[in-house]
Amino acid sequence: MTAPLEARSLSLMREGNAVLDDVSFSVAEGEIFALLGGNGAGKSSTLLTFLGFLRPSAGEVLVEGRSVHANVAAARSSIAYLPEAASLYGHMTAYENLEYFLDLAGRKATRSDLDSAFERVALAEEARSRRLQSYSKGMRQKTAIALALLRETPILLLDEPTSGLDPVAIDEFHDLVKALASSGQTILMVTHDVYGACQVADRVGLLRRGKLVGSFAAEPGRRIDTETVHAAFAEREAA
Amino acid sequence: MSMAIRIAREEWRLWLRSKVVVAAALIIAVLLAATSVLTINRIADEQVQRMEQQVAAEETFFAQPDRHPHRMVHYGHYAFRPPPPLAVFEPGVDAVTGQSIFLEGHRQNSAMFADTKAGADLGGFAALTPASLYQLLLPLLLIVLGHAMFLRERESGTLAVLLAQGSSGTKLALGKATALLSVIAIFMIPLIVVAAYSVTLGESVLAAASLVAGYFLYLCIWGAIVLAASILIRQRAISLGALVFVWLFAALIVPRVAINASSAAIDAPGKIESDLVMLAEQRKLGDGHNAADPAFEQLQAQVLEQYDVETIEELPINWRGVVATYSEAELTNLLNRFAENRMALEAGQSRLFDLFGLASPTIAIASSSRMLAGTDLATHHRFLRESENLRFDFVQALNQAHATDLDYALDMNRNNDAASAEAARINAESWQVLDEFRFQPDSAVDRLGRARLPLGILLLWLAIASSFVVWAARKVRV
Ligand SMILES: Nc1ncnc2c1ncn2[C@@H]1O[C@H](COP(=O)(O)OP(=O)(O)OP(=O)(O)O)[C@@H](O)[C@H]1O
Ligand SMILES: [Mg+2]
Repeated sequence: MTAPLEARSLSLMREGNAVLDDVSFSVAEGEIFALLGGNGAGKSSTLLTFLGFLRPSAGEVLVEGRSVHANVAAARSSIAYLPEAASLYGHMTAYENLEYFLDLAGRKATRSDLDSAFERVALAEEARSRRLQSYSKGMRQKTAIALALLRETPILLLDEPTSGLDPVAIDEFHDLVKALASSGQTILMVTHDVYGACQVADRVGLLRRGKLVGSFAAEPGRRIDTETVHAAFAEREAA
Repeated sequence: MSMAIRIAREEWRLWLRSKVVVAAALIIAVLLAATSVLTINRIADEQVQRMEQQVAAEETFFAQPDRHPHRMVHYGHYAFRPPPPLAVFEPGVDAVTGQSIFLEGHRQNSAMFADTKAGADLGGFAALTPASLYQLLLPLLLIVLGHAMFLRERESGTLAVLLAQGSSGTKLALGKATALLSVIAIFMIPLIVVAAYSVTLGESVLAAASLVAGYFLYLCIWGAIVLAASILIRQRAISLGALVFVWLFAALIVPRVAINASSAAIDAPGKIESDLVMLAEQRKLGDGHNAADPAFEQLQAQVLEQYDVETIEELPINWRGVVATYSEAELTNLLNRFAENRMALEAGQSRLFDLFGLASPTIAIASSSRMLAGTDLATHHRFLRESENLRFDFVQALNQAHATDLDYALDMNRNNDAASAEAARINAESWQVLDEFRFQPDSAVDRLGRARLPLGILLLWLAIASSFVVWAARKVRV
């Protein structure tokens, strides 16, 4: 069975600098893969390559078994992408934002679809008809996550999805991601939150200065050990 | 297509929720409405007034009592150029050329301003016409509305989300273009109303529709320039600054340069200078009032021979009338030669000015607008020629009456005493020689034909500006 997401010896240059160097991994259907790394490690760049925004200088990325750069449109149609900074319109309400993005994605959603997505991300009901310019960072993040959910794509690419969320919201979000995975969605999330990654992921990859330097898989029925990953992370960063 | 409309709708939501944009649009709408109403009133007044003045001048002429015919030659007549219907939108060169001429024997007077009061009443605002608002202010509105329309998607990161969802730069640009197009369509309404009103004043639908189409083209050019800047430039301030600079360049700098360059390239001698040369040549022709002027010796010999008589007293016609007719024709030839020269120079300058449309769409629309409205220089020149024909015809008809209807002996004795003066008159019936003069705009087809160069330049601008947008939109990346 082909993996929904696969990087094959992926190398990437951005403005003359090597950003990714010979990175290979794949994410299986229904799997949650967390790419962990420090600032500037190349996490966001990896996601952008899967979206076809960046072109590999060597190797390739595949979405559902097909090379992204052979058919960018096909790859994008299978992916919902949560960018690093919740990118929504400040002059519109949460409803309006979602309606607009979903319209442009060619997805019809009713008011109750929107409401149930907002319920799942726990966005307060009174906030939904307020313009986003009056939102806190976490509320924007929740709205952006709700949009990704409503796209109902087989693949989710999440760039630091828990940034800005409070601890309760983070826990709820982790539950949500697990539920999505168990319903068959494939999830690649990038983060520098070791604890969060270990909480939610089936597998954690450690990215350091563009190289994949470690990989930790959860034992069946158990979570990945945070201490181990944290030690590896700290060691690698110090090196 | 529905996607483009969806994007355009969101653009409208943003505009309607922005106080600055709403305020700017309202100010321009009010300014447009006020200027249109004022200009319509002023031009409609002038039109009625000048038509009445034309009729009154004719009636006064016809109502003159029995007189010596040459006194009627100097009594003179007036020709008025009423503004064409579309002058309610585009008064054009009217403001600088004058619209009435005093017609008399042996002279070609310059056009005068029929009512200097109009300009004084409105102060500087007489120059604020609906046409100039469309040419100058609406591009600014498009700049305010559109300078960030694409780049703000990049700024806010929504461009990445939209592209990741499968939208493309081209689709987004199409949506933004639709939004700008809808703004343009709305701001075309006042022009369409004014154009429709001009049709009720007798304007042809073709001319009115062409004018509307010309301005639509012009605003689309600006829309495309604005959109292209918002796609290619990444910072708001830079996009706004660059577009305002382009506006200054197109709307103010190039026209200034064009005026200077075209008058420098085609040097028209000053009025006084050419008047002096003309006077010198005129002197050589002899004075038509003085039948004994040696300049007419040859004519005298010829006429005596023609009638087979020895002296002018024996002629069956009035020799003074013959001389007046002859010298008027000679003089008119000379005057027309100078007038045609001057008009040819002015026409050359204005053609050169039109070519500057290649450097600024504002010049191209200004030229098209005047030509289509019939308020351009060529129309003024036709007025000068037609009123000159009117002048020549009535003066010569009076001179003819002088030759045939007034006895030479009576004429020669006219200064002896009151009774002789009384005798040296002809019947007022003879004043009916004056032709009715009703200055009409050119046909719509003629005007369109004249405007084909600037209209073609506008089309060229639109083609270039929109291919620029297409090119910029195609290469949109996150
Ligand atoms: N727009 C850009 N143009 C050129 N280089 C870039 C650009 N964005 C990022 N880079 C470079 O690419 C490298 C990887 O950046 P990337 O954003 O992928 O890191 P990251 O792991 O997501 O970091 P963070 O945790 O801070 O989000 C960095 O060296 C960065 O300087
Ligand atoms: Mg990042």
